[in-house]
Formats: sequence, structure tokens, C-alpha cells
Amino acid sequence: MSTKTKIGSLIAGVVMLAAPARPTFAHHAFAAEFDLNKPFTVTGMISKVAWQNPHVYVYVDAKDESGKMVTYALECNSVNTLVHKGWTRDALKKGDQVTVSAYGAKDPRPLSDGSIHANARSIKFADGHTVSAGSSADEPAQKQ
Amino acid sequence: MRMAFMRSLLAAEAVLMSLGFTQATAFAQRGFLEGTPKPPTPIPTGPTPRMPDGKPNFSGVWNSPDFGSLGGPLPLQPWAQKLADERKKSGEIDDPEGKCLPGGVPRISPYPMKMVQTPDLIVMLFEGNVHSYRQFFLDGRGHDKNLDPSFMGDSVAHWEGDTLVVDTVNFNDRTWLSSGSAAPHTDKLHVVERYRRPDLGHIQVDITLEDPGALTKPHTFKRMHTLDTAWEIHEYVCNDLVLDLTRK
Repeated sequence: MSTKTKIGSLIAGVVMLAAPARPTFAHHAFAAEFDLNKPFTVTGMISKVAWQNPHVYVYVDAKDESGKMVTYALECNSVNTLVHKGWTRDALKKGDQVTVSAYGAKDPRPLSDGSIHANARSIKFADGHTVSAGSSADEPAQKQ
Repeated sequence: MRMAFMRSLLAAEAVLMSLGFTQATAFAQRGFLEGTPKPPTPIPTGPTPRMPDGKPNFSGVWNSPDFGSLGGPLPLQPWAQKLADERKKSGEIDDPEGKCLPGGVPRISPYPMKMVQTPDLIVMLFEGNVHSYRQFFLDGRGHDKNLDPSFMGDSVAHWEGDTLVVDTVNFNDRTWLSSGSAAPHTDKLHVVERYRRPDLGHIQVDITLEDPGALTKPHTFKRMHTLDTAWEIHEYVCNDLVLDLTRK
């Protein structure tokens, strides 16, 4: 087994552990899940990166408005779209300190795994550089 | 030239990495920063590639920068306008594409699209939002009268000089014409696309929509695709979101 395959299996393993037995919601239009009127920023530490289609997920541990530590599950665009924008598979790592600009979910209650769902717009690193997460709400598609 | 450029980039990255700029350069070397609206790879220039028989060759991986556009407001019939308005008002939550059903025609997504051409057949392969394909038959056949109505319709094609003319009918009525318009159509939808590849890096398409069930008159608009030699289509299974969105 090559190193690459091992890493792939490891990531797949982590993803499988995190996955529910039966996803109850396959996919969604942006507005079915997120709210353009709930933009917020959160600063914290990356606890997991799920490099997968149809959406890459970045998990960030941070304090919520009440000061309680929570995990945000931040939806980003697809693997190919992010690669096209310049992301690499290992550009974001567990332990990185980041500030994420995001749209909140319409339903603010935690998901079944306890995380808070949100749609990432951009991710700012400790050194100040920022990358777009390719939020579909910020893409130029919503015109006729 | 390109190799030399890549080598100098790698050398520059090596120096910067040794200085601790790993992440910054991982993004910066690709010219990507927040708000950058364009693909990082330049659109190739050169003459129109051609098949052995001299016809333009549309093969390649294509980007669709104006994927959301239908060239302006559609001439919708009152019922269709009313339905489109209702869909937009509800935040497009009922968008079939959002539920992983094929987007239909002429709708196209921001994900890459690949065209593969043979003398008798051109195939379009869509990465997303739903893995789907279109076949443009060039062998002179007519529309198949026995097909059931479908999301992507039934396409036949012919050449008019260097222009590929694609005629598509037999759609079901379950797709939206675009996400921005949220416009419905009926099973009377008839789409005629005229594809040209004026140079290496571009496809220009004139698209005419006719639908006596939903439009008051035919609507024509232009679409451009740009060649992306650094892109390949990936496996993208729309309904495989590995996250349970059920709330506690």
C-alpha cells in the first residue's frame, strides 16, 4: 500500500466514522439550509478536514456567543472547485488557527453529531492570508 | 517556456517554504486570493483544432463562466412567471438540482464539463451538480419517437459549415431553465444550440429556447465556454453528502 493510499484510507476511515449510517438529507439548495441574513465570523482551531465531494467540510472548534466551546461544521465547495481556486488537499491542517467568515444555518440547533452547521465563505489564517471557500451564495450564478 | 516558469515557481516556493511561508505560498503561487473571480489558469490561445475530416474538434474540458445566465429575462407566460416568482420567494428550496436531480437543458453548472468527439458522436460529460451526460448524434438519425421524456432530452446534430447545430426535444417538465430565473418549462420545450469553436480556447453557443407551453415567444441567448487544460472532471456523487443534517 502506497503512502498516498494509506493516507486516503485513513481519511476515508475518519470520514466513515463521522458519517451516519444513513444520511437523511442528500444535498440541498443553499437557501434550503443556510441563511444569507446570518453572516458571522468565528475564530478557532481546525479539528478536522473532510476532503470529499460533494462538499469539503472544515471543522473548527471555537467558542460560541455564550463562550461555550463548540464545533462548527463548515461546508465549503466541491473538491474540484476548490482545487481550481488554488486549494490543495493538505493546505488546511488540523491545529491551524483560522478565522472563518460564514453564513449560519436557518436552523441553529446542533446537527446529530453535535456540530453547528454553517456555510463557509472565506478562511483567514493566522499569518493574515485569506482563501475563498467558494460559497455558492457568493458565486455569480444567481443572475438571469 | 511553461516548464521553465513552473521550475522557477517551484524554486521560489522552496525558498519561501524554508522561510516558513508554506501555507501562504501554497495558495499564492496559484494566484488565488479571496474574491478572485477568474480561473487561475490562462485560457489557451491558438487556432481551432480540427478533426481529420476538417470539422472543428470540440474535445476538451470546459469551464462555463456565465453558467447562471440566460442572457436576460425570459418571456414567460403569466403562469410560468408566477411560479418562478414563488420559487424565488421561497429561496429556491424546491430546486430539483439541489435535490441531486439532473439540471436539464439549457441549465449548466459551475462544475467542469468535458466534450469528447468522434466523427459520428459528440458526448458531453458533466461532473456536477449531478453526474450526467448528453449525446449529440451526428450519423443522420432523427429523434427517437419511443424514448420516454427525460431530464436532458433527446439530441440530434448536424454540421452547417463549421457550426455544430444541436436539436433537442422530448424533455420532461421537472427541471428549471436556470437557478437564477427559477423558470419552469413544459414538455414542449425545444432547444436549438449552435456551437462554434472560433479558436483553441473558446466555444461560442447561440441557444434558442422554444416552449409554447411556458414562453410567449422564442428566447435566444449566447453562452461561452473556456478551455481549461489544467482541469479534469472528477467523480462527484451529489447525493453522497456524508453529513447528517438532522437536528438533535
